[in-house]
Amino acid sequence: MALKERPKPFLLPEYCKGCGRCIDACAKDCITLGTQINPLTGLVPVDLDLTNCNACGLCMDACPEPYGLRPAHEGQILDFELEDPAKLFGVKPSDAPEPQDVPTEVLPLPRTEPLVIKGTYASAIGAILAGCRHVYGYPITPSTEGAELMAKFLPKLDGTFLQAVSEVAAVNMMYGTAGAGLPTMTFTSSPGFSLMLEGVSYMIGSELPGVFVDIMRGGPGLGNIAPEQSDIKLACHGLGHGNTHAITLAPSTPQEMLDLTMLAFELSFKYRNPVVLLGDGYLGQMTGKVQLPGTMLKPGVPKWAVYGDAIHRKNLISSIFLTETDLEAHNVHLNSKYEAMKVEARAESFLCDDADVILVACNTPARTAKGAVQELRHLGIKAGLFRPITLWPFPVEQLRMALQGASRLMVVEASAGQLEDELRLALSKAGIRNYPEIESVRRMGGVLPQQSEIMTRVLGQKEVLA
Amino acid sequence: MSKASVIYDKFDRHSHAEGLKGHATHYCPGCGHGLAHKFLAEAIDELGVQDRTVAISPVGCSVFLYYYFDVGNSQAAHGRAPAVALGHKFANPDSIVISYQGDGDLASIGLAETISTAQLGAPITVIFINNAIYGMTGGQMAPTTLMGQTSSTSPSGRNEYNGQPMKMAEIIAGLDGPVYVERVALYDAKQRIKAKKAIRKALRNQVEGRGYSFIEVLAECPTHLKMSPEETESWVKDFMEPVFPLGVKKDITVEPWFKRNPPSFNGEKILSLAGATSEHPERHSKGFPTHLAPHDVSLKLAGSGGDGAQTAAMLIARSAINEGFDATHIPSYGPESRGGTSYADVHVAEEEVLNPGSPDPQVLIAFNAPSLAKFGPTVRKGGYVIYDSSVVTDPPALDPSIKVFPVPFTGIATDLGKAVVKNIVALGALQAATGIFPKETMLTAIRVALKDKCALIPLNEEAFAWGIKSVEALAN
Repeated sequence: MALKERPKPFLLPEYCKGCGRCIDACAKDCITLGTQINPLTGLVPVDLDLTNCNACGLCMDACPEPYGLRPAHEGQILDFELEDPAKLFGVKPSDAPEPQDVPTEVLPLPRTEPLVIKGTYASAIGAILAGCRHVYGYPITPSTEGAELMAKFLPKLDGTFLQAVSEVAAVNMMYGTAGAGLPTMTFTSSPGFSLMLEGVSYMIGSELPGVFVDIMRGGPGLGNIAPEQSDIKLACHGLGHGNTHAITLAPSTPQEMLDLTMLAFELSFKYRNPVVLLGDGYLGQMTGKVQLPGTMLKPGVPKWAVYGDAIHRKNLISSIFLTETDLEAHNVHLNSKYEAMKVEARAESFLCDDADVILVACNTPARTAKGAVQELRHLGIKAGLFRPITLWPFPVEQLRMALQGASRLMVVEASAGQLEDELRLALSKAGIRNYPEIESVRRMGGVLPQQSEIMTRVLGQKEVLA
Repeated sequence: MSKASVIYDKFDRHSHAEGLKGHATHYCPGCGHGLAHKFLAEAIDELGVQDRTVAISPVGCSVFLYYYFDVGNSQAAHGRAPAVALGHKFANPDSIVISYQGDGDLASIGLAETISTAQLGAPITVIFINNAIYGMTGGQMAPTTLMGQTSSTSPSGRNEYNGQPMKMAEIIAGLDGPVYVERVALYDAKQRIKAKKAIRKALRNQVEGRGYSFIEVLAECPTHLKMSPEETESWVKDFMEPVFPLGVKKDITVEPWFKRNPPSFNGEKILSLAGATSEHPERHSKGFPTHLAPHDVSLKLAGSGGDGAQTAAMLIARSAINEGFDATHIPSYGPESRGGTSYADVHVAEEEVLNPGSPDPQVLIAFNAPSLAKFGPTVRKGGYVIYDSSVVTDPPALDPSIKVFPVPFTGIATDLGKAVVKNIVALGALQAATGIFPKETMLTAIRVALKDKCALIPLNEEAFAWGIKSVEALAN
C-alpha cells in the first residue's frame, strides 16, 4: 500500500483524555497539548493539525484509548462535530450470539452388587457418577483418600485431578471450572476449608456451582485429625465475607456419602451456588455397604457459563457490583435463592412419632444416637432420633413435627454446641417457642459421644461434659 | 492500529455506559493499561480466537477488563487469576485463557498461584502489568516499587526494611514450566512495537498448545507517580528499566503437547474402576448369627500396622454384605506412618448398623500382647477372644464367661511360608470359634479380594483352613 493511501488519524475530542502520549510519537509535530477544556468530559484533549501528517500511524499506536486516535476512513468527517456514538460506531454492542444451554444427559448404569467401600471413596464415586471430571485439592487428613482416589480414577476417564499449591488455589481452580459451567469439587478438612472460604464467598457472589466435601476434624488451629463436628458453624453461618449461604448436607453412612454427594451436584447446579457436604473423620474412614444408582450424568454446559466457545462468548462471571443499588439488588436476588432453597430441607425422623425423648444428632453421632434410641426402647423409654440431613437450611418444619408430644429434647454432638446453635436459631426464626428445655451430650477434640453417655444422660439426667 | 474487533463497539458493561462514557476506558489519562488492552485485543483478533478466548479480570485497576473485551470473561479474586485460568483451561482445553494481572495481584498476594501455575506450564498466557505502584487502592507500595520510590505506604521512600523490588520476569524465566518469558515497555514507538509482538507470540504459544507464556509490561501510572504522562514515560525508561531490564528472558521451542481427550462417560468403565460387579455372590448363610447377638455383632480387631487387621476387618464386612446383612468397618491408627497401632471396629447387623463403634465388642481378635491387654477387658460377658499365641505368651486374666482361643497366627503363617497371611489364619479361627458365617462365605470374600492376584488364593485358603483346624484342636 502506498504511503499516501494510508489513513491519517481521526480523533473525536470527547474520547481523548489529553494524556499526550501521541505527541511524542509524532515525528511531524502534528499534535500539541490542548488548551480548551472539553465541556462534555471536563478533560483537555490534544489538538491535531494534520497539514504535515504522512499517515505513519505511530500516534494511533501510542494512544491508550480504544476509541481515541483511530484511522480516518474515506468520507469520514475530519471536522469534529458531536455525534451520537451509535452513528459513528454502530448500535450493536457485540455480535456474540445469545448464549444457549448444552443439555445434560442422563445415562443408564447397569445394576450392580453393593460395594464395600469407605466414605470418602463413596463420595468420590458419587461425584464421578454425577458427571464431575474436574477435581482440585490439597492433601489434608482425614479427607485425602477421596483426592487420592480421584487422582487414580480421573486420568483413566480423561478427567482432571490437579493438586493445587494450596487450598486457596484449589478453590479458585474450582471457580474457573465452575465458571466454564462444569461440575467440580474438592475434598478438604477443617483447616483447609477455612482457607477456602474466600473463594467460596466469590463463588456464591458469582453464582457458581461446586461441591465441597469437608471431612471435619478437631480444632481450633491445627487441632488434631480425629473426628469433630467442628465446621457446622462455618458451613451454616460463616462462608466467607458477605451475605453468603450454601446448602449444607450431613451424611451419616457411606451410602449417604455417595447419595448426598450426587445430590450436592444436582442442587449446586439447580441454584447456581456451592453446596457443602460435612462428613466427620469417622465417616470418611468408615467402610460400609454402598449401592450404586441406576443412572449417571453426562454434564452439558449451562447457558450462563464462560466455556470459551462462540455460544457462550457473551457471558461474564463476576461478583463485582460497583454501584450500591446494583449490589443491593444482587443481594436481594441471592436472598430469594436462599429462600427458595428452604424446600430442600431434609431430615430423618427415627421413631419420633410417639417419642417422649427426642435426640437430635447428625453424622456419626447420629448413628451412636440411633443405637441409644434402640437400647432405650428396649428399656421401655420412648426415645426417637431426629437427624437433620440438611444443616442449612435446617429442617425446622420436620423438627416441629418430631417435637409434638416430646417432653425432652437432647442434642448429641461432637462439638461445643454448633449443632445446638443451628437448632436454636432455626426454632427462633420459625417462631417456635414451645419446646422442651434443650439438654446436651457434647464431646470435643475428636472424642465422639458414646452410646453409654447418651444413655446415662437420658436415664440419669447426669451432666456429661456440657 | 485501528480498534481491534474484540474491543466492544460500546462499553455496555461500564456502570455509566451512557453516551460518550460508552467509548472511553475507565483508566486515567496516559495509563499503560489502555495500550496493553489494545495490543492484546489486536493479538486475539489476528489469531482469530475471539470466540475461544476467556479473559480473567484480576483485582486491581484492570478489574474491569471485561468492560472492553468482547470475549468470555471471568473476574477473579485478588491474586487468584492464574488458578482461575487453570480451572478454565482444564475445563475446556480448546479455550484460550488469558490471565491479565497487575503487580500487587501477581507479585504479592498471588505469588503462590503465580509461581505454581508457571511451573505447571499448562498453556495459558499471563500478561503482567508492572507499574511499580498499587493503582486501584491509591498509590501504596507494590512488590515492584523501586528502592527510594515514595508511595503512601513508603512515604520516605522504599528502603531496606521494605526489601527489594521483585523481578518477576527473571523469577518466572528461572522456572522449568514456561516456554516464553519477555519483559517489554510502552514508553516509545519502538518499545510498543516489541510489546505488541511479544503479546501476540505469547498468545500464539497457547493457541498452538506449546505452553505457558509470561509477558511483563512496564507500564505507566501517571496518577500515582504524580507526574505527567510524558514524564512517566521517561521515568519508566530512566528509572524502571535499569531495575527491570527489557528483553526476552526465556524462549524455548517446545512441540505442541497440550492435547487432552474429552472426558469419558462410559458407565462400564466407571463401574470397573469402582470394582462394581453385577455378579451376584452365592449365599451360604442360613440366617443372621443370632447365637452371637440378636441383631448386631460387634467385633474389634487390634494389632500393629502390618498385622493385616484392617484387611481382615474388610473381609468380615465384605462377607456380611455378600450374605445380605449390613456391615461397617472403622479403622483407627496410631500417629506413626508405619508400624504403629492399627485397630478396626467392625459391626455386622441383620438390618442396619446403628452404632458402628466397638467400645465393648462381643468378639476380639488380638494380634499382639498390648492389644489383648488393652481390649481384652472391654469384651462383653460371654464374648469371644481370639489371640495370636505365637506372640502373646502371658495372656491377662479375663472374665471367666469369655471364651478364649489362643491360636498361633504367626507360627502357622510362617510355616506356610508367608507371615503376612496371619490375618487369614485369624479369620479361619474366627469362623471356627464363633460360626459368624459359613466357611464358604468367608472363602468367597477372600477369593474375590484376591481376584487380581489369583496365584495367592491357594496359600490363603490353606491359611484359613489352618485357622479352623487350630480352633478345632483346642476343642478336643
